[in-house]
Amino acid sequence: MHVDMNRRWQGMKGWPGWVTVVGIFGVAVSNVWCADLAQAGTVQVGLATNAVGKFAVVRADGIEERLDGRGTLLLYEGDLIKTEAASQGLIELPGGIQVAVNENTVFTILSRWEQAKGITRILRLKSGELWVKTGEGPKPLEVETPVATAAVRETEFDIKVQSDGETTLTVVQGIVEFGTAFGTCPIRTSTISYGKRGKKCTKPAPTDVRQAISWTSAIVGPVK
Amino acid sequence: MKPVMSCSGQVLIRFAFATIVFQGCASPPEEPQLPLGLDPPRIYIANESSNSVSVVDGGTYKVQREVDVFNHGTHDLAITRDGKQLFATNLASGRVSVIDTETLQTIASIYTGKRCHVVTLTNDNRQAWVANIEDDTISILDTKLYRILGSIPIGKGPMGIAFSRDGRYGYVSSQDKTVSVVDTSSHMIIKKLPVGSNPHFLILGLDGRIWGTNTGESSIFVIDPATQEVMSTFEVGPAPQQIAFGYKGTVGPNAYVTVTGLNKVVVVKADPSDLRILEQIDVGTGPNGIWSNPVGTRLYVGHTGSNDLHVIDSGTSKVIAKVDVGRKPIRVVASR
Repeated sequence: MHVDMNRRWQGMKGWPGWVTVVGIFGVAVSNVWCADLAQAGTVQVGLATNAVGKFAVVRADGIEERLDGRGTLLLYEGDLIKTEAASQGLIELPGGIQVAVNENTVFTILSRWEQAKGITRILRLKSGELWVKTGEGPKPLEVETPVATAAVRETEFDIKVQSDGETTLTVVQGIVEFGTAFGTCPIRTSTISYGKRGKKCTKPAPTDVRQAISWTSAIVGPVK
Repeated sequence: MKPVMSCSGQVLIRFAFATIVFQGCASPPEEPQLPLGLDPPRIYIANESSNSVSVVDGGTYKVQREVDVFNHGTHDLAITRDGKQLFATNLASGRVSVIDTETLQTIASIYTGKRCHVVTLTNDNRQAWVANIEDDTISILDTKLYRILGSIPIGKGPMGIAFSRDGRYGYVSSQDKTVSVVDTSSHMIIKKLPVGSNPHFLILGLDGRIWGTNTGESSIFVIDPATQEVMSTFEVGPAPQQIAFGYKGTVGPNAYVTVTGLNKVVVVKADPSDLRILEQIDVGTGPNGIWSNPVGTRLYVGHTGSNDLHVIDSGTSKVIAKVDVGRKPIRVVASR
C-alpha cells in the first residue's frame, strides 16, 4: 500500500501545476459545500427572549432546554415550545415578527415550502394563547390550531385554543384570513371570531381588543 | 393573349389560395386524438427507500422520470381526479409532497404530523386527509392553498383512510384493531368497528362498500356504509397489503389482493355475501401496492422486495410487463 501511494505521488509530480491548484481548490469548495449541507439539517428560525417563569424548548431530537429571565435561546425548525402556569415568553421571527407566548401554552415551529412562494413559517398551537404582531406588508406566517388556521397579512392579533380545540381569534389591527375545514372568513380590526370543530368560523363581532391582549404587557410592554 | 379570367376573378382565387395557405400555417394538422378513455394511464409509484416517485407510461411501460419529492420515506400516493396533482406522504419527514404532474416537479412540501402514513382525497378533491401514525391524528389539508385546516383525533396509530361513495363518512383504520367511522359534516367519530389485527389499507369498492386488509392477520374485511357494520371477513393469506378491483372477461368484479407472505396476488370474488378465492397469480418478491386501470383490465403491482412494477393482464392473469423502479416501491396509483 505504501509503495502504491509513493508511485501515485511520483506520477503526480509530472502533472502540470494548475491541475494541482484546481484540485486543491475543488476540495476546498466541496468542503464548504458539505458544511453548508450539514448546517441545512437544522434551520434557525428565530429567537426566544424575555422569559417569565418556566419557558421550555423541546428540540426535534427530544433534548429540552429552558430559558430563564432575560437570556435568549435560538429556535430551530421543529422546536416545541411550552410554558407552564404563570409563565410567559417572547419570540422574535425574521421580518420583524413578534410572538408573545402566554402561560400553559404548547406549540411547534414548522414550515411549508412552495415552489411559487418559498417558505411560510407555521406555528402549530396545540393549546394556550399567542399574540402575534407583524411588520409592514404580507408576512409568510400562519398559526394552525386543532380546528382552524389563521393566515397573517399586515396585522396584530391574539389567538387562543381551549382543550377541545375551540379557537378564539381577536384581531387588534389589520386582517387575518381565519379558516376551518368548513369555510374561511376574513377577520378585521377590533373584531373577534370563533372556530369550532365541524363548523365554519363565526361572523366577526366587535370586541374590546385591549382586554384580550392585556396579558402581554409583562413581556412586550404596556398595551397602547 | 387575352386573359381567360377577369381581374376580379383572379384576385378572388388568389385571396382564397392565400387564405388556405395562411390557415395551413396558423394551425398545422393535429395528430388524430384517440377516442375518450383510450389514452394510456400514467402510473406513479412511491419508492420509500429512494425518497422518490417513479413515473411510468401506461402504454409503453417505460419509466418517464423519477421525481425527487424533497422529503424522506415516501410512502403513499393520491392523485386528483383531473390528474394534475399528486400528493405523496413521507413517513420519515412527517410531510406531504405535492407534485405537479405536467412538469413532474415537486411544488410544495407541507408538514402534517409525525410519521404521516397515508393520504386520501375527499370525493370533491378539495381536501386531503392525512393519517399521522405517531400523532394519532388525521390532518385536513386544503389542496389548493396547501394549508392545514385542522386535525381530527382518531386514537392509536391511524393507518388507512377511505370515504363512502356519498362522501358523508370517512373510515380510518387504526393500530387499536378498529376502523373509526367519521362523520365528515362534523369531524366527529360516530362509531368504532372492531376488525382485526393491524388493519391497514382501506378502499371504496365498486359495490360502494369499504374494503380493508388486516395486515397483522391473514384476512380482508368489508364494511357496509348503510349499516356501519362489518359484513364479512375472509382469509386470503399471510400479510395481505392492498386491494384493487378488476374483471376477468365476464367474471367480476374481482378483488385483487397483494399478499406479501405468499408473493402472490390473490383474486377474490368481490361479493361480500360469497367471498371466495378464484385464483392466485405469481408475482415478484414482496407485492404491496396495487392499482387497476380505469376499465379493470390491467393491474399494476409494486414489489418492495424485488424493486419493480409488474403489470398483470386480468384477462389471462399473466404478467405482461416488468418495470424496474426505485427502492422499496410500496404504493401505486394511476391517472384515470
